[in-house]
Amino acid sequence: MSAARSASRLDRMRGSRLFVPIFALAAILLLDLVFVPGFFKLEMKDGHLYGSLVDILRNSVPTVVLALGMTLVIATGGVDLSVGAVMAIAASVACILIDPRIVGVNLQGNITAVVGDPTYSFMPIPVVILVSLLAAIVCGLWNGLLVAFFRIQPMVATLILMIAGRGIAQLLTNSTKIIIFNDAFAYIGNGFIVLPFSLAIVAALFAGAWLLTRRTAIGLFVESVGISFRASLYTGINEKLIKLFVYAFCGFCAGIAGLIAVSSIRTSDANQIGLYTELDAILAVVIGGTVLGSGGRFSLLGSVLGALVIQATQTSMYAIGVPASAITAVKAVMVIVVIVLYSRQVQDAGVIISTRLGRRQTAA
Amino acid sequence: MMKSATLRRANVRKFLPLGATVSLFILAFLAGVVAFTAMRDGQSFFNLFTTTPFLLILVVGEGLVIISGGIDLSVGGVVALTTVASAALLTDGWDPWLVIPLMLVMGLLFGAVMGLFITYLKVQPFIATLAGMWLARGLCYVISDSEIRIYDPLYKLLAGTRILIPGLADPATKKGDYITVLVVVAILVLAVGTFLAHYTQFGRTIYAMGGNNGANEQSARLMGLHVDRTKVQVYMISGFCSALAGIAYSIYVGSGHGTHATGMELTVIAAVVIGGMPLTGGEGYLVGGLFGVLITALIQSLIQFNGQLSSWWTSIVIGALMLVFIGVQSLLSTMNARQLTARRLGTTASGSPASGKRRAILRDRRFLIGAAVVVAVFVAAQAIGMQSGTNGPNGASASCQLKPNRQDRAAELMKGGAVIAYERNGGAGCVDELYAIYPDGRIVADNGTQTVEKKASPPEVDAMLASINDLGWFTDNMYSTSHTPCAQCFSYFTSVSYKGQEKTIQAVDGGTDAPAKYWLMTGKLSTLVPAFPAPQ
Repeated sequence: MSAARSASRLDRMRGSRLFVPIFALAAILLLDLVFVPGFFKLEMKDGHLYGSLVDILRNSVPTVVLALGMTLVIATGGVDLSVGAVMAIAASVACILIDPRIVGVNLQGNITAVVGDPTYSFMPIPVVILVSLLAAIVCGLWNGLLVAFFRIQPMVATLILMIAGRGIAQLLTNSTKIIIFNDAFAYIGNGFIVLPFSLAIVAALFAGAWLLTRRTAIGLFVESVGISFRASLYTGINEKLIKLFVYAFCGFCAGIAGLIAVSSIRTSDANQIGLYTELDAILAVVIGGTVLGSGGRFSLLGSVLGALVIQATQTSMYAIGVPASAITAVKAVMVIVVIVLYSRQVQDAGVIISTRLGRRQTAA
Repeated sequence: MMKSATLRRANVRKFLPLGATVSLFILAFLAGVVAFTAMRDGQSFFNLFTTTPFLLILVVGEGLVIISGGIDLSVGGVVALTTVASAALLTDGWDPWLVIPLMLVMGLLFGAVMGLFITYLKVQPFIATLAGMWLARGLCYVISDSEIRIYDPLYKLLAGTRILIPGLADPATKKGDYITVLVVVAILVLAVGTFLAHYTQFGRTIYAMGGNNGANEQSARLMGLHVDRTKVQVYMISGFCSALAGIAYSIYVGSGHGTHATGMELTVIAAVVIGGMPLTGGEGYLVGGLFGVLITALIQSLIQFNGQLSSWWTSIVIGALMLVFIGVQSLLSTMNARQLTARRLGTTASGSPASGKRRAILRDRRFLIGAAVVVAVFVAAQAIGMQSGTNGPNGASASCQLKPNRQDRAAELMKGGAVIAYERNGGAGCVDELYAIYPDGRIVADNGTQTVEKKASPPEVDAMLASINDLGWFTDNMYSTSHTPCAQCFSYFTSVSYKGQEKTIQAVDGGTDAPAKYWLMTGKLSTLVPAFPAPQ
């Protein structure tokens, strides 16, 4: 009797969409527990918490932020390839607003601040943040416009900005690497309130996105559009507006990720900021159980866990001693494992095994 | 009579994207010829081929995948893996005639595995080939962290052999317009690909599979076509093309490294789209891909000839072009759908010829608007380039901020009697090396922290100068390219003085931006100059 109950509990757990990411995360951490001594050690120094676990959380921040936006886009049946380029655009906008002189703009008037002054900013920092996020939202709206109103395939529509976006970022920064000296701006990515400050941003963003999609009808609309935009249209959902919204939200998330990334490394290099992050973000969403391509049901928490799985793998590999350059191969193996875990054949086999197991146990 | 007119219109419409691509290429090329004297040389046309043979090969594989309704993101990774694996094997002393087939088999297997994942585990092509891309890139670094140079004589021969164009070159002096062996291979691949696509069951199946958001795949299956088998085959072909392109690339750049062909998958997909094959699949012609590649190469060389525009304009213009082409295609498909509905409702007969003509005119006008947008973007780019031109070319200073470029010092060395002075700046280690070669054979190298000297013989120096001159150093074929180098790339400033002529040319590696002959020159120089001792 109790065996049957435990089998059904196993069934329910396996059926949950969070099963794969939680299982993967646990497996990786178990690996660390065995192979990396002191991986779970946490230290307090100057009121900051240090340790590999904190590193994982902190380094996963840009991917988590991107994955939140990407989840909604993928839930509508789309995909946004341009998030990396949008990160670069937002970062470039922020940098030139903080110090336009770096890109060779000659400011009229008598500005006495020298380059390198940690308090100098041409625009107030809140304005800098707002304007860069606005730029990112405009990029998202552009994608949404192409997808929703011009009915261009999402992969193609966002590929345009993916290719052109980096060029635009280079154009903004006059293709120089910009170093940020402003301390207030650097706090976004480097600040600590026991835990890294950027985690607070992520928490706020996650809470906002969760409330928006689970406490209002928007989440339902997004899933409905993903399952069938035509049926949604007939039931009176403005599917174009929903799509426009999710792409704009994805752009907004990319903007936040860009600001965090540029602030934590204090250098804006339009060629490097956010390079290949779109792939990480898509992978995080896929690991989290939201289906790429067909859309429909989505899980924000799953995507966050997916991003953590990616980062935990990377950090663990570094800790084990895998060279940084071979990390992409490890990632590939991870993708393959996830593919196999999610494939219908394996899931079907799982169902067969667990029913047989259950039957045998009830018989016993 | 009526029917044939409808048919003809349908045919015209079928070829319209391809026609648009070809005419855009011709127009842009003519515009370049008018604007830049250097473009009037016939070789500048053939250089569009000689700098892109690997892209041409990739476009065939990627084009077939895209027609079948899939996508292959792994092409750049497989190219890099092929360059590294073949360079490592050749360095180990393997025979190139064994290495090349081995690499092609590797490509086939790589594609087959991805195809099996996509077909039988029902994985999204995007995800499966993304995994392939990461795996290939990662394996590169498992084989070797650093760049492996290729010294194989066969590779050198294939890189150096010129096929002169009959009528445009003088066979006696071997001067004039030429293409390379790689270009011939690429054209052959295109021919075979076109044959496969249009004259075989395989080809008809991939056209039947693609399009209509995957619904056509189901129809193809119901028609009894071997969808599963064909799907695996198409990814195998793409893997094969990637490996072949990888061999072409390693011949072209003469080395293998994991950062080779970074982002090439995007260039290839863009070329396919510009070539008139929509990513939805089921439509388009492979030969369009050829023109897609030529257009991207042309944009790049126009930007180079302009000399003041940074190479990031290439990506913006390519993005804008894609937008226009996708716009035209989606308009066409909406119109097709509308016409289909109209025909089904039986309204075609009533107002056919006149409204058809009007619609055709409308379509032309829409196309013209699209072309005008492209031209406007390009003109704007030129105008901005003129304004920012006062800042000078961007490439020189952006590579490494740790150490400044020392062109002034190089100029001093030249005044001090050096016949060749060249600076190599950048790389992952952010080095700044300055080499000076004197006519008496003295070679002085300085990397800012230490100086190394070497004594060569005066005839060696003379031979080097003569061979640099033979490469066409003092002709218009050798020009500076301004471009922002990537993190691992080097930028070179080379000054050469020979028989009273002196010329300095800057170039940046990490792509196809510089004339191929420039790399032959730096390759030759690197064998002559002394090496710095490895840092402790």
